[in-house]
Amino acid sequence: MPRIPYWNIDYGIIIDLLAIPVAIVFFYGLYRQWLLIKQGKMRVIPSIGNMIQGIGTFRLKAFLVRGILNARLYRKPASGIAHGFVFWGMVILFIGTNLVILNILFGLPVFSGGFNRWFMSFMLDLAGFLTLVGIVFFLVRRMIPPVRLRLPEARKGFVPVSGLLGLILITGFVTEGARIAAAAGSLEAGAFVGNFLASNLISPALALEIHAVTWWVHGLLSLGFVAYIPYSPLVHIVLAPVNVGFADPAPNVKMGVMDFSAFENEDAEELPALGANKLADFTRKRFLDFSSCLWCGRCQEVCPAYNTDKPLSPKGVIVTLADRLASGKLDESLIEGISMDAIFNCTTCAACMEACPVSINQPKTIMRFRQNLVMEQSRIPELMGKAVASLEQRAHPFFGTGSGAAEWRKDLDVPIFEPGQTEYLLWIGCSVAYEQRAQKIGRAMVRILQKAGTSFGILEESRCTGDPAKQMGNEFLFAEIAQQNIEDFSALGIKKIITLCPHCFNSFSRHYPKLGGEYEIIPHGSFIKILMDEKKLNLVRKDQLITYHDPCYLGRRNGIYDDPRTVIAGVGGLVEMPRHRNESFCCGGGGGNYWAEELGSRINQQRAGEAMETNADTIAVACPFCLLMLTDGLKKHTEETKIFDIAEIVAASMV
Amino acid sequence: MHIAVLAKVVPDYLVPSMDFELSNNRAHERFSRMLGLYDENAIETAIQIKEKTSGSLTLISYGSENDIQFLRKGAAMGADQLILVKGTSDDAAVIAGNLMAALQSIDNVDLVLAGQQSADMDRGVVPGILAQMLGVPFIPQIGDVDHENGSWTVTQITAQGKRELEFSGPGVLSITSIPENVPRIPAVRAIFAAKKKPVIKLESTDQKKMALNELEVAIPKIECVCEFIDVEDPGQAVRILLNRLNEERYL
Repeated sequence: MPRIPYWNIDYGIIIDLLAIPVAIVFFYGLYRQWLLIKQGKMRVIPSIGNMIQGIGTFRLKAFLVRGILNARLYRKPASGIAHGFVFWGMVILFIGTNLVILNILFGLPVFSGGFNRWFMSFMLDLAGFLTLVGIVFFLVRRMIPPVRLRLPEARKGFVPVSGLLGLILITGFVTEGARIAAAAGSLEAGAFVGNFLASNLISPALALEIHAVTWWVHGLLSLGFVAYIPYSPLVHIVLAPVNVGFADPAPNVKMGVMDFSAFENEDAEELPALGANKLADFTRKRFLDFSSCLWCGRCQEVCPAYNTDKPLSPKGVIVTLADRLASGKLDESLIEGISMDAIFNCTTCAACMEACPVSINQPKTIMRFRQNLVMEQSRIPELMGKAVASLEQRAHPFFGTGSGAAEWRKDLDVPIFEPGQTEYLLWIGCSVAYEQRAQKIGRAMVRILQKAGTSFGILEESRCTGDPAKQMGNEFLFAEIAQQNIEDFSALGIKKIITLCPHCFNSFSRHYPKLGGEYEIIPHGSFIKILMDEKKLNLVRKDQLITYHDPCYLGRRNGIYDDPRTVIAGVGGLVEMPRHRNESFCCGGGGGNYWAEELGSRINQQRAGEAMETNADTIAVACPFCLLMLTDGLKKHTEETKIFDIAEIVAASMV
Repeated sequence: MHIAVLAKVVPDYLVPSMDFELSNNRAHERFSRMLGLYDENAIETAIQIKEKTSGSLTLISYGSENDIQFLRKGAAMGADQLILVKGTSDDAAVIAGNLMAALQSIDNVDLVLAGQQSADMDRGVVPGILAQMLGVPFIPQIGDVDHENGSWTVTQITAQGKRELEFSGPGVLSITSIPENVPRIPAVRAIFAAKKKPVIKLESTDQKKMALNELEVAIPKIECVCEFIDVEDPGQAVRILLNRLNEERYL
């Protein structure tokens, strides 16, 4: 017997008519969300771009891949699959419900033939069943929550809405089972759940009464559920994909550069706030971040600061902001609530951002607080303050160093960059120039370049890109240093730069172009790979196991994972640490924390321990800061010298 | 409340000994120039007093016009105006005399602060000579400074401990570094505002020099003799190291 709309139901049309106020309540809820988000500052919107890429700052690919397909959710298989069951199950049930409406309104023949059997019966039963499985998983998990969900605070409101959804599914199945049971023993092809209920649990004698009651209960609960979505945590169904769509397309944190020209303008009536101290200082995109956050704690779980007992939890920061946003406290100072220690404990490694299923930019939020503390309030931890002062006074942050600027190249014949003659500038940077252990990286790279016959030169005196100032929140000092460097590069006609430090690479490639400095930048690991590909280096592959630590600023921030590994594979056997590539753990030195007295346990010791557990003969790095941090961290585990930069490893393998 | 801070622009005081170089018997001009190490502690101390008392702060220096760009940092930290006495002498009496002239050009200075010692010559004598010239008390190595009921309470920090002192009226204090007077990083607004703060330039006046002649300036030859402290406990290693440094009179 084909299904008949409103079978066994009097005045069933009322449900359809109720959909109109429900839709109004639903969209009003979304409008309220928009009103919350609209309070943030406007971002600069570029002109309409390539429609395939996106519209303005909205990226279609990210929206589809991470927003709709939830690609990142599946990194945790259990909750990812459960979420997939619920999401896709609900999508299919939504389609099915709409097909029923089309059947009612226009007589669309959805209840006949194979479509009825395979979609309207089997698919909808399967979707409902899997959604129910997912809901049970989430309800159980809310009752026995993992730490990341519980601390520092669990988001309330999931249990009622999940319970409501479960009830809707159950009443839907009971309605279906009662309908089948009332049909005098003939089961419905494909409707395996309905058939099961009709055959085993629903008395045919009561089927009509049960059907009439549960039909209404199911319908009214469904409408209530839809109306409730924007007022519950389930609003993420809408907000999360939108947030993903608006996320910056460049990998990970991109702080941009600040324009300080308003401060030069004597007629300026109001000067812009630097960084953020209160909610009102954030943009709409950040407000969308705070509203989209599910408080799932994936960010917290991978945070090096949180994992070493420091007062920072990226989840905690976003939760605090989400709470304040929801309660409308836009003008209250937030920094004390979050704590200055927490704000400066962030290593800006971007692991949180990488782990976030809804593309929230936690580091940018934290950095904005840092900018405010440093540039507006003159507040900075003492050691970082000394590094910043040194940068300002000496153009490098290594205060109290025992090394002079030229010491790293003592006894080496290193060419100075000659305009029009030299092809590459070998950018030494501050750590390689001033830190004794890191100096060996520069010496090794010079040997490699000379062996390969590369046309390269260095600046007379090493200096810094300004990146440490930027990481510590002093954008102004960064801009001053960067502009000076750009002027000097222009005078020398520099076009191609080889960097030894991923922080320099990141600065040159991401921030300098916005200040007018466009160069071809290549990290030293990638340049060595090119030299190897071009057979310009004669290397002996030794019988040694090497593990490689991904520097955050090369890996997660710039997506360079393979080149260093190829180089290592050319001189020994590569063995991976459990956390590697985009899941790599920070050395602890990022975000200016090289100049910090650590609270809690030490990140570098934890990471060095992971490297030791691989039983590798050598621990390779591609960043002088990682080299310094891990060398120090390894002292807890062994007295052996095992950590080397890839340039040192390659130089030692040259014949 | 009006406080004056004496500040000197010096060559980078952290240049490693191995890298140090002379030019015309003074630090080579290739080294970066900056405010003296303890002078910044003095400025920070003065700003804190200024903030507590809603007072004003004048930064006074003796040197060249090129120094103004570095003195601006003091203005960015919180000084209200700069006075530069143009001169090239490094005779402590000449410097003190010129600083006194600068002080006398402004009214009602309640307190004069200076760094404990300059970061280039490390002499620490100018504030004392200045105090004598002004006829006011001079108290060196001061950490905390408090002002209550018209009198000053100061804490003198020595290797052996602290000493609290009290005095009324103006005085000259030389400031040492304590955790409470770590120099602040100037806020961006303050950096821009500092560019507009007044700079008074004074010509130097004739002052009587001290009766001494410079015969030779030399950089000691650095010899590295490495000695390992072979103990497991870092605390004990530090104690042994400190004893050795004391014994060798490095501290």
